[in-house]
Amino acid sequence: MSLLQHSSAAAARPAALRSFEAQWLGRDADALSALREEAMERFLRLGLPSTRDESWRYTNLRHLAAHGFVDAPRAPAGSLEPTASLCLLGVAERVATVLVVNGYPVLPSSIDLSFNGIEINSLRELSRTDPGLVSNYLAPASDADVARWRLLNTALFVDGLYLKIGTRVETPLVILHLSTAEVPDTVAYPRVIIDASANSSAVIIEHHVQQGELTPLCNSVTQLRLKRGAQIEHFRVFATGPKTTHIDSMDVRQERDSRCKQFTIALGGGLVRTSLEAHLNEPGACLDSYSLLVGHEERHVDCVNIATHSAPHTRSHQTARAIASGSSRVIFNSKVVVDAGAVQAESQQSCRGLLLSPSAEIDTRPQLEIRADEVKCAHGATTGRLDPDMLFYMLSRGLDRETAQSLLVYAFLADVLTGMSVASARAAIENALIAQLPDSQVLRKFR
Amino acid sequence: MLKITGLHARVAGKEILKGVNLEVNAGEVHAIMGPNGSGKSTLAQVLAGREDYEVTGGSVEFEGRDLLALPAEERARAGLFLGFQYPVEIPGVNNVYLLKAALNAKRKAAGEPEVDAYEFLALIKQKMKLMQMSETFLTRGVNEGFSGGEKKRNEVLQMLVLEPKLAILDETDSGLDIDALKVVSMGVNSLRDPKRAVVLVTHYQRLLDYIVPDQVHVLSGGRILKSGDRSLALELERRGYDWVRESRVA
Repeated sequence: MSLLQHSSAAAARPAALRSFEAQWLGRDADALSALREEAMERFLRLGLPSTRDESWRYTNLRHLAAHGFVDAPRAPAGSLEPTASLCLLGVAERVATVLVVNGYPVLPSSIDLSFNGIEINSLRELSRTDPGLVSNYLAPASDADVARWRLLNTALFVDGLYLKIGTRVETPLVILHLSTAEVPDTVAYPRVIIDASANSSAVIIEHHVQQGELTPLCNSVTQLRLKRGAQIEHFRVFATGPKTTHIDSMDVRQERDSRCKQFTIALGGGLVRTSLEAHLNEPGACLDSYSLLVGHEERHVDCVNIATHSAPHTRSHQTARAIASGSSRVIFNSKVVVDAGAVQAESQQSCRGLLLSPSAEIDTRPQLEIRADEVKCAHGATTGRLDPDMLFYMLSRGLDRETAQSLLVYAFLADVLTGMSVASARAAIENALIAQLPDSQVLRKFR
Repeated sequence: MLKITGLHARVAGKEILKGVNLEVNAGEVHAIMGPNGSGKSTLAQVLAGREDYEVTGGSVEFEGRDLLALPAEERARAGLFLGFQYPVEIPGVNNVYLLKAALNAKRKAAGEPEVDAYEFLALIKQKMKLMQMSETFLTRGVNEGFSGGEKKRNEVLQMLVLEPKLAILDETDSGLDIDALKVVSMGVNSLRDPKRAVVLVTHYQRLLDYIVPDQVHVLSGGRILKSGDRSLALELERRGYDWVRESRVA
């Protein structure tokens, strides 16, 4: 599996690319090698996405290119216990927390774990025992720039999680992704595959946090497949520190009458780039995507959502709320594609931005690409400051300015928060959110 | 209680108030009438402390204090209330939150403890009953999806809970049917007492059948052109505003 054909160009490649190739060359062969090699070759051929690429227009990764990366450490089982403050949900409220450190699941020795209807496997183990199953999920993504980092993850992830949801699961499962490093310039490749059986349901919360000062560059991928009639509520919550760079790609595939609620919540990180590609492949599939993007201090958040309707009677609703304070920048691009034949498709894109400081920036762009007749697609995008009429109304009732402003900021987020069906998850996310808003002390009183 | 002397104000660079003089004493109800664009709403907003309305001259005393030196929130806590002509909808901020925060802000300013949650709910429910409002109001966002009439009732409800010393009601009667008008009037009348005052800004004499004013003023072209008792309102209805403007010129 030599990639010698690339070596003549190697000198011209940025250090980052060369280091990824070196990682590849150092990997042991496994049952997935053929698929991985194809992904790696394509990644090296296409290179790092740049601002010339459509979905990367607002996010420049040049600062990464000059670094050479090595694998983030794998933590031995039991050596890391996340502190309680990192946990989103109280012990009584979660069915289980699965700890994943730098992409490696920290599971008890048994490879077949079951938590009330959710079967949990290590991807490394599963690719030994059932390589065909895992291969199904590694089929090459397109060359599209939005999927570029996913190719790299496919080539280089060593371990990951495979969850099979077999029934209706009432309480949420938390996947606690812990990022940690001892030296600079490490990289992690967390991979999570969620397979929801027909008519199953579950709430899965992926929570990204860090421990210690240093973190790896995180290139994570989550794949979610919903079989007929499955109902999944999935959260990805980014809550690492201000120096972290995180690139997360999510891919959702939905069969007939399945329903997916997906929440993307950026509350932390220095540079957070998220993508969601949802494929509504069969009639009756429904997607509700909610994005809550909080720009704080110097943070850069770039969120790309693409919903593709390829069957009749499919529905997608995208709701995004972006808040930017300090000198942060928040970008939200959403796109709805309606393939020919996807008649009676219905889509809505609602995107609102709220600027809280003169040096913050929000860019939003809803797009539509329709190749079918008889569809109903609506979109709207607005960005502004706090409404002076609302503010004056509250001041005229005697509320102090801080309280009035906080309430208005909070109200702005209500459309996303009210979409969360699990009260405990909502409360936990509200808590984490409030801590990032101006006048958080004032706000806590109103909850 | 309220003494306005030579008040001038601009909105978006245009002079709207051109020397308003008005004195309102405790226990009195004053009605300010006038044609559209005469400056009635501007006067109400300036008194409540709207920042983008620029005061260019004159003074306003409220209970001996310089009202114009106070920000809007302190005017409210000092006992001034503005009932808005067009109450804004604030989705996501609960009606009850807002009312409770408003009442507590006022109590805090007066050195009183915060209101007990149970007592507060009982108080609101009692006032809501008086205003004939549905209980669904409790769970809704501020004015969210309210009809015009519901918004006006909500303004009066807020006034009843906050018990201001001076209430300025900006066209609280407009857009109300006769039944709603009676309810709103009853609410306002229930607040009348020798220590409080009410300024009604209105376009129509009709409201004054239910809330009988002590004095009626005609505001036109940014000035008060004529003052009188209730009969002035009746005469205005009969003869129109042109009559005041013409008689002034003559």
